[in-house]
Amino acid sequence: MENRSLRTIGLVGCLVWLFFSFFPLYWVFVTAFKPPLAVSQGATYIPFIDFQPTLQAFRDAFSGIRGDFFGPIVASISISVVATALSVFLGAMAAYSLVRFEFRIRLMSGLMFGVISIGGFVLLNGTFDIDVPYALLIVLVLALVVSIWMNKFALPGPVLGNNDVTFWFVSQRMFPPIVSAFALFLLYAEVGRAGFPLLDSYLGMVLAYTAFGLPFSVWLMRDFFSTVPVEVEEAAQVDNIGRMRIFIQIVLPMSLPGLLATSMIVLAFIWNEFLFALLLTSGDWQTLPILLAGQQSSRGDEWWAISVAALIAIIPMVVIAAILGRMMRSGLLSGSIK
Amino acid sequence: MHGDAVRHDRVKYAFIWPAFIIVLVITIFPLIYALTVSFQSVRLVPPLPPRFVGFDNYVDILSSQRFWGSTWTTATIVFASVAFQYALGFLLALALHHNVRGSSLYRVVFLLPMFIAPVCVALIARMVFHPYLGPVNDAMVGLGFGNLPFLTEPALAIMVLISIETWQWTPFVTLLMLAGLQSMPSEVFEAARVDDIGPWRRFWDLTFPMLLPLSVAVIFIRLIEGFKVIDTVFVLTGGGPGTATETLTLFAYNEGFKKFNLGMTSALSFVFLIVVIVFGTIYLAAARRLMKRYA
Repeated sequence: MENRSLRTIGLVGCLVWLFFSFFPLYWVFVTAFKPPLAVSQGATYIPFIDFQPTLQAFRDAFSGIRGDFFGPIVASISISVVATALSVFLGAMAAYSLVRFEFRIRLMSGLMFGVISIGGFVLLNGTFDIDVPYALLIVLVLALVVSIWMNKFALPGPVLGNNDVTFWFVSQRMFPPIVSAFALFLLYAEVGRAGFPLLDSYLGMVLAYTAFGLPFSVWLMRDFFSTVPVEVEEAAQVDNIGRMRIFIQIVLPMSLPGLLATSMIVLAFIWNEFLFALLLTSGDWQTLPILLAGQQSSRGDEWWAISVAALIAIIPMVVIAAILGRMMRSGLLSGSIK
Repeated sequence: MHGDAVRHDRVKYAFIWPAFIIVLVITIFPLIYALTVSFQSVRLVPPLPPRFVGFDNYVDILSSQRFWGSTWTTATIVFASVAFQYALGFLLALALHHNVRGSSLYRVVFLLPMFIAPVCVALIARMVFHPYLGPVNDAMVGLGFGNLPFLTEPALAIMVLISIETWQWTPFVTLLMLAGLQSMPSEVFEAARVDDIGPWRRFWDLTFPMLLPLSVAVIFIRLIEGFKVIDTVFVLTGGGPGTATETLTLFAYNEGFKKFNLGMTSALSFVFLIVVIVFGTIYLAAARRLMKRYA
């Protein structure tokens, strides 16, 4: 306002960054329309001047002569949409209870849970030779029941509240995904050996991605719910309407923008996810990122074909970024970031 | 605000249990199994029965050159790229906050890179940085550098990876810092303007300290996320040349799925987990001291 030169520097900086952000996207876009010669004889920049654009690469891709494109596209869409819906809905439920109710969990019973589950698993699997999936299932139920029962008593040690529960959810996102992805791969392989194939299956992928998206949805939805006024719900409660109905018929519709924004973000994360898909799929349910990663070794420098594949993965995300950009302008997202 | 009736409402469990169980079964429980595997020697090829080996896997990892190499590579890429992301992202947020001309256009375009799959970004980078046929090569030749082997020379490959990470994640910093800037009370800045305090001092005495907690959080998120990097490297260089650009996650993946050494990969992922926890604790402690000094 008062300092013209600073404003000019800011404008120039923004323009430079605009060029940097935009150029690679421009490049992949034009390359998809290039004929092979326009790629292999050095860089060409502007369609109609440097080269004649052609739709050949798109035709090749969709006619299927260059390997299966539709399989991964269908897999990506069906897995990411269902997993996003599940994780946003379940995450919203958890977030709602974290905003409206009070949780008190004794650290001691949490530790007990860890001790029983690890010790019990080693005992059942190592000493009694029970198969891994069954041993884990037995241990899970046992540890849960015992620790919930223990939580009733006045055990020594700190008591964890709602913020700690939220942190527990969010912390899943903090540790390196190779840890859980690889562990999940081992578990899925064991479950498969017990006669219930989860590796390279739709159910396995949806479950993995639902868990993957939950930390985001719990965290984001908690912030959105905390801005929803409680009075409406209290009025409904006086009328003796059940909590679940209040949640579905009143709270969810009131926080629709928040739900939409959260879904977009979770969908983007799941759509672009690579490591879980790399470890947990091998053929039938390969997603787009896996297909793309394979392009480069199977196609070499056939960049027109690679660009088409990349564009297919990018375009839905452009739509999402545009929607979120609009929401950001209306100030909706700034409220969610404390 | 919470009445007694609300506190003892049993329905709260019905709300939280589904999410809790899914995270427990899909994320936590496999870890228990993986933890036991990390103390065993498990090989798929040739298939040998698992054998308890104690801490052997862990000792092997800590004494392997490749582990320390990949730790160093990961740390270099992460720290350098997060530094750039933070500096550039903050500057861009400041510019957008002060409504430079056309800022509504930038907002959408600036957001784009972080929504693109890292695999795609790496594929695009392979085209753009091609040593003979890419546009960056054209620019470098124009500047008189000749044909640089961007992806096959270790130092250059790491620089390319740093610039890719910066390209993709600067928008994240911009997004959050912009939200922080917009939520700052404008009265303070009005007062500073009335007192005729220049923009430089206004930034260092007001804006920066007020946004310090947010900055700490943003940098923390980026560092933690950065340490996970695999997809970009997987596509761009495959860890090469040799193992010069191999990151921790890629190293763990290669051990497990190229050498089929499952015990080793499990142990490695737990070492990785410990590294992240230790590092995160140190970072947060340091950040708390820094914030105290300003507050």
